[in-house]
Amino acid sequence: MSTRKYKRLELAENQLKTAIGLFVAGADKFSVITLAGAADVILCRLVLNTGQENFTDLLIREFSNECPSKETRASHGGDINDLCHINDLKHMDKGDDGFIDMDVDECALGAILKALANYVRIGGREKDFVRTFLAWVRLNLDPKKYNIHCDPNWKPSK
Amino acid sequence: MTEIRYHKRDIAKLQLMTAVALFLHGKDLSSVITLAGAAGNILETLVRNEGKEPFVDYGCKVCRELSGKMPKRKSYLYYINTKFGVNQHKHMSEHDPETVELDLDKMAVDAISKAVLDYIKLEGQKESFVNAFLSWTWKNMDGPGIMDNFMKLPKKLKNL
Repeated sequence: MSTRKYKRLELAENQLKTAIGLFVAGADKFSVITLAGAADVILCRLVLNTGQENFTDLLIREFSNECPSKETRASHGGDINDLCHINDLKHMDKGDDGFIDMDVDECALGAILKALANYVRIGGREKDFVRTFLAWVRLNLDPKKYNIHCDPNWKPSK
Repeated sequence: MTEIRYHKRDIAKLQLMTAVALFLHGKDLSSVITLAGAAGNILETLVRNEGKEPFVDYGCKVCRELSGKMPKRKSYLYYINTKFGVNQHKHMSEHDPETVELDLDKMAVDAISKAVLDYIKLEGQKESFVNAFLSWTWKNMDGPGIMDNFMKLPKKLKNL
């Protein structure tokens, strides 16, 4: 056992890689959500450090083009995390009854997609775990609902 | 959308089982630390809700005996979660450097140990993943040596 220096990108990448491995293997989806959520916190900051906008900023900008909003990065990021129940899976306050109603498959998919959107801005799409997940997306998701080919001009079918 | 009702007790167990499985199979230690940390946070509250003493509260008492001052639980928990690498794997603020020094091997063992100790207070020691981890630590962390040192401690520290 010894201490060494790690890049935070390496810590985030390893957690996201494990999350995707568990997801495609059909293993524990709660762990997928927690790992993708933790990786995404680091990735959000690293993307900003490169001078790019992160996924949360992109969503705020796209929505505010259609409907002006005063939403901040922190509030919108918190809302997305709540949708995926990321905080519920790592916290329990005094007085909390402990029950959660959720679609764990949808939340696991959402947590990975958000983290991956940030990861590709820094790490690109060439790593095996990214290619594996994108292949899973093409094989398993509805192309009317999801942008399975990562087309920048894609719009969901109405 | 198919929503199902879950309880955090079951979610914490699953995350801890996954952490132990990844650890014993030699997989990514950052993931082990994050999962054990998440499970540990939930288990701590569940243990306290049952009127029992979680690891963190016991640790506060050890600090009091050693330093003469009882730390605040929140501060001590933050200290422990940093010491065990949990915070560094799920937070990064604007002014944090892009590198961090960690002993992932030790932190993974410590983070799982904390969560497993609270899990045992809730559910006992009957689960195979708990026994697998305890066997690993006994063999690889010098269990007999740790027990020898514990037995040499003053009585007031052993009986906190």
